[in-house]
Amino acid sequence: MPANNPLWLRVVLRLERAIGEPIESAVRSDTYFDVVSKTTRVRRTVVGTAEGVSRRCLHLLNLPAGSDIRSMRQQLARMERRLNRLSDEVSELDEPGPRSGVR
Amino acid sequence: MNPRVPSTLSPGDLLGRVNRDVERSILRARNGIRYVRGTHRPALGVTPKEVIWKSGKAELWRYQGGDRRYGPPVVIVHSLVSRSYILDLRPGNSTVEYMTGAGLDVFMLDWGVPDELDADNDLERYVDWYLPRALAEARRVSGHQEVTLAGYCLGGVLAALYAAGHEGANVRNLILMATPVDFSEMGAMVALLREGRLDPDQMIDDTGNVPADALYSGFYMLAPTTEVAQKATLLENLWNDEFVEGFQAMATWSRDHVPFPGAAFRQLVELLVRQNILTTGSMPLSGRQVELGNVQGNVLNAMAERDNVVPPAAVEPVMQLVGDPTRREELRLPGGHVTFGTGRTAFKHTMPQLTGWIIDHSDPPS
Repeated sequence: MPANNPLWLRVVLRLERAIGEPIESAVRSDTYFDVVSKTTRVRRTVVGTAEGVSRRCLHLLNLPAGSDIRSMRQQLARMERRLNRLSDEVSELDEPGPRSGVR
Repeated sequence: MNPRVPSTLSPGDLLGRVNRDVERSILRARNGIRYVRGTHRPALGVTPKEVIWKSGKAELWRYQGGDRRYGPPVVIVHSLVSRSYILDLRPGNSTVEYMTGAGLDVFMLDWGVPDELDADNDLERYVDWYLPRALAEARRVSGHQEVTLAGYCLGGVLAALYAAGHEGANVRNLILMATPVDFSEMGAMVALLREGRLDPDQMIDDTGNVPADALYSGFYMLAPTTEVAQKATLLENLWNDEFVEGFQAMATWSRDHVPFPGAAFRQLVELLVRQNILTTGSMPLSGRQVELGNVQGNVLNAMAERDNVVPPAAVEPVMQLVGDPTRREELRLPGGHVTFGTGRTAFKHTMPQLTGWIIDHSDPPS
């Protein structure tokens, strides 16, 4: 901390360290890890349940749900990835360049 | 009494100090308004460059502007979790600009911003597909058969695996900048995954990638209160245009993470984090074992002593594992993880020492 800092800044920086150090220790603790992993699981369960309910409601009305669109986007992305790989392989056959081989 | 004001100030000095404080207050007000409005943001990554190769989101850039006196070319392999402009942050504060100015022929392999189409990208895709092709192009345009390969953070892991896993890789110099090898030393963020409390699939979203927000939160939680200290320091220095510009540039970069491709993330967690496989000196890749000891050429293991993202303890085993023991060198730099790109220590220590080492291990100008 530079000595020529004004008093207010030195106080803020000291205060930040006084509060920050215990927080940084806390976020490295087992308790924090447990809380994070449990929160993540609970959030996924809640979101999954809510999505399931809304999906059933929308399907009753013969409407697509967000998860249908998502799954369609994933399928399209998979197909596009496969096309890209094929296109890469074809261009490799057309223009074999000097490259290192695997060891 | 204000301890900063000596009691023996003459009336002239006092008037000068009052004038200075008034001027600074005006500048603070002006810069404060600009900061809040978000105008006058600094231009980032502006060293002139041309795209010389592209595949998917990956691009190889060649930087312009310098007199290319030394060979072989320096190819920087960037990490998969952050934006590459950290190494070319602002004019006058850019590693890339410094190196090109010193006469090096600098290339950057940038991975772009992954989306759904990149979810299947695994480590093999980076090491055995993108890298050989990008480097072949760098060799072609530079006219050199060899390269100096410099990997930053996870980019260093990719660079080391490439150099070790390819016959005729022709890597004269391998520079590993803050490259983690011992993932048991990687701290809290990685511990959650290592201990199995967090499953990699829990972090992967609908696009098949780990969202950038999740990565940002992980880095943020390493030191959640430092933002207060940073903002207070900004307030004190708000009159200083140069300081404000540097602050804005760093703040932009530190929030600007990119999604991590899901397939590579699963592999990273299973092999590098849970099995800590790099510490064995060998890693399976595309059905073969890549031995890190097979790296030919000189190896420079550069680490930052105050790095809390990749601590020195995670980097140190490079000195026992990568390449020929007689050709390994270690460079310890003051500063944190970003000292490889920006900051006072970067300009004073990192840029001159890295550039000097590369020049010492390059061909002299013909």
